[in-house]
Amino acid sequence: MTEIEALAVTGAGVVSPAGFGLAALRGWDGAAQPALSGPRRDEDYPPIPLVGIEGIDPEQYLGRKGVRHLDWTTKIALVACNRALAELDPPLAPDAGTRTGVVIGTSTGSIRSSSEFSRETLVQEKPYLVRANLFPNTVMNCCAGQVAIFNGLRGVNATIAGGQLSSLSAIRYARNAIVGGHIDGALVGGVEELCPQSAWGWHLSGRLTGDTAVGEGCAVFLVESLASAAAAGRTPLAELLACEVVSAGSDDRPVTSHRVTAAVRRALERSGVAPADVSTVSWGCTGHVGLERAELRGVRAALGGRVPAGSVRVTEVAGESFSASGALQLAALLAHWAPDGSAGEGSGEIGLVTSIGQDGMVGALVVRRR
Amino acid sequence: MSGTPRRVVVTGLGAVSSLGIGAHTFAAGIREGRSGVSQIRAFDATGFPHTVAGEVHQFVPEEVVRRLRVGDWGRTALFAASAARLAADDSGLDAGVLAAARTGSVVGTTSGESAVIEALTGQWVRDGFKRLDPALIRQVPANQIATAVNSELGLRGEAQTIATACSASNYALGYAYDMVRTGEADFMISGGADSINRWAHAGFYRLGALAESVCRPFDRNRSGILTAEGGVALLLEPLEHAVNRGARIYAEVLGYGVNCDASHPVSPDPTSIAACIRAAHRNAGVSPADIDYICAHGTGTPTNDATEVKAVREVFGDRLPPISSIKSMIGHTMGAASGFGALICCLALHEGFLPPTANITEVDPALGPDLDPVPGRSRPASPRVVQNHGFAFGGNNAITILGRVA
Repeated sequence: MTEIEALAVTGAGVVSPAGFGLAALRGWDGAAQPALSGPRRDEDYPPIPLVGIEGIDPEQYLGRKGVRHLDWTTKIALVACNRALAELDPPLAPDAGTRTGVVIGTSTGSIRSSSEFSRETLVQEKPYLVRANLFPNTVMNCCAGQVAIFNGLRGVNATIAGGQLSSLSAIRYARNAIVGGHIDGALVGGVEELCPQSAWGWHLSGRLTGDTAVGEGCAVFLVESLASAAAAGRTPLAELLACEVVSAGSDDRPVTSHRVTAAVRRALERSGVAPADVSTVSWGCTGHVGLERAELRGVRAALGGRVPAGSVRVTEVAGESFSASGALQLAALLAHWAPDGSAGEGSGEIGLVTSIGQDGMVGALVVRRR
Repeated sequence: MSGTPRRVVVTGLGAVSSLGIGAHTFAAGIREGRSGVSQIRAFDATGFPHTVAGEVHQFVPEEVVRRLRVGDWGRTALFAASAARLAADDSGLDAGVLAAARTGSVVGTTSGESAVIEALTGQWVRDGFKRLDPALIRQVPANQIATAVNSELGLRGEAQTIATACSASNYALGYAYDMVRTGEADFMISGGADSINRWAHAGFYRLGALAESVCRPFDRNRSGILTAEGGVALLLEPLEHAVNRGARIYAEVLGYGVNCDASHPVSPDPTSIAACIRAAHRNAGVSPADIDYICAHGTGTPTNDATEVKAVREVFGDRLPPISSIKSMIGHTMGAASGFGALICCLALHEGFLPPTANITEVDPALGPDLDPVPGRSRPASPRVVQNHGFAFGGNNAITILGRVA
C-alpha cells in the first residue's frame, strides 16, 4: 500500500440552504432551519421537513446569456463554481483553462429534468412533442459541461454518479487525473437539487429519520497539485490526503461498521496519519436510519475507541443532500476550522470525512488543515 | 502514486448487444456487417414517426448473472453486471482470485437507469407521486450500475459509475487503466451500459438527429443516429500477471486522452477533438504514423461525420488510417458506445481484421479524398495500434489507444 500525494484545496464555492460560502455553514446557529418558500412551496412535496436554497438569483452571478433553459442543478453548480473561481487568489491564469478540468458528483443529474421531460412523452398529443432545447438537461453530464462552457475549462470534464459517495468518488477521479498529468487542477465537488421527485423518493424509501430534512446544495473546490498551487502563488486552505472507497463485496449480511473501520484505517495509513491525530470528524450519515450508528461505531473503532472532540454535521444545516453530501461535509469541515477560509492557529490538524451508501459503499477522506 | 508503472492488458471481454450475447457472438455479427436494428419493443413507440432502434431482445439476465437477484436491479445495471460476468468468465481468472484481490469496477453511462425513471414517471402521471414504487426508487441512482457489477462478482474495490454521456466508457477505460497501471487496483472491470428509452428517442428526434431506419455514417445519404442499448465489459489486468498465468491477451491498453470543448453543449468542435487525439497519442507514447485503424465515434449525423473527419485530418494530414463506425450496425448505444468500440478494437488486434461500416452506398465526397470507412464487411488486416473515439454532449471527448502486445 503506497502513500498518496497530497493535493491542495485552493478555493471553495458553496451554495446551501444555510446561504453562500463557507462562512454560512459555520455561522448557522442551530435555530430553526429555513423552510421552503418561493414558487417551490406550492409544489407537490411530501409532508416531511425540507430545506432549500433561498433568495439567490443565478443570473446575478452568471449573466442572462445561456442561463434561462438550464435547470436548477446546473444553475446552483454554476453559481458555486463562479464563487469558487471569483474568490481564488490569485485567480486562474488566462491560459490555465486548457489544464483545468471539472469533476462533478451527481447520481441522476437533475432528476426533475429527466422526469419532467419523460413526462412530456406521455402527456403530449404526440410522444415526440418535447422541447428539444430541454433535452440536454436530461443528460447527466449537462451540469459539468455547462461549468466548462461558462468558465472556459477545457481539461478533463467528468461526471461521477456515486450515490451518497458521489462527491468522494469525484475527488478520487480528480486525484487520478491530476496525478496522472492529464490536468493541473479541477473544480471538484457535488450537487443535489431539491425537487418533488427527490423528496418523495426519500420519503417513500423510509431511510431517513422523521426529523431529518431533505435538502440540496452544491460545494465545489479548486483542487490542484501542490506544485500547481505553489507555481500560481495560491495558499492552500487544506490538503486532501487519501480518499478511499470500498464496497460490500460478497458479504451477504452487511457488517457496515467493520467496513467503515477498514476504509478509515486504510485512508489514514495511506495518508501517513496516526488515528490519534484525527481531531475532527465530518459525519455523512446524520439522520440515516441504521447507518448513523454504523458510522459512529466504525469510526470509533478505527480511531482507537475514541471519537474526537471536533464533530461536524452538515446535514443539520443543509439537509440530506445525497450526491452533494461529501462535498458539503468537506466544506463544513473547512468552515469549522476557519470560517473565513484563512489558515491560522492549529495548522496541520487532521479531519476525516466519512460516508456510507445504502448500497454498501463506504468512503473515507483524510484532510489536513493548512 | 506508486513505483514503476505496470503495463495493462485486456484479458476478458463481455457483451450484451443487439447482435447477441457474448463478445464473440457480437464480433461475428460486426464482422459480417449484420444489423442489430429492429422494431422497438422496450417501450410503446406508437405515435413516433421513427420506430426502430438497436434494442437487445434476447437478453434474459437470469441466464447470465449468478449472484444478483434480478428483480432488485434496473435494466442498465443488469446489462453492466451481465457483461461483467461474461468478461470475468472469458478471462479464465478464478472467480475467487478476482474477488479476493483489490478489484473494482468502473462503468460509463449516459442516462443511467432511464427505463426505471420512465416507469416511475408513468406512475407519477397515472397516480401521483404518493404511489411511486419504493422498490423502483431504490434502483434510480446511476451508481447502482457499477454497484451491480461489484455485487455480481463479489468485488471489494471501488465501484465508479461515470456519467459523461456518450464517451463515458472511454472515460471508464482510461480510469481503469490508471488504477491497474499505478497499482491502485489488482484488476479492474471497465465497461459501459445504457437502456433505450422514450425520452432519448423523443429528444434525438426533436433535435433532428434521428435516422428513420438505417444508420449510414460516412455515406452521402446518411440522415442520423439510431438509438440503441446494451452492456459491455473489459477485464483489465497487469501484463506480467496475465503472462504468468498463461492468459489469452487480447490487447494492451496504451493510454488515453480526455478533454472538453467548453464551447457548445451539443455541437462538437473539431479543433478540440484534434487536441484530444494528440493528448491520447502523447499519453500512449505513439505518433499518428503508428495508428493503423480508428474506431470512429461515427454516429451517423452529418455534423459528426464532418467534425470527426476534419479533426482526424488535422492530426493525420494526408495519411488517414482506415476509419469505420460500428454504430452503422448496432446504433448508438450511448454510454456503452465507446466500450463496444474498445471491445471490437481488442478483437481486431487479436484476430487480425478491421471492423466495417455497414450501409454505405457512396462515401460522401464532401468528406474529402482517401477516406476508407471499410465499407460492407470486415477486412483481414494486422493492425498493431488502434485508436477508439468517444465524443459526447457537453463536449466530453475521450479517446483510448490500444495495441497488440509485442
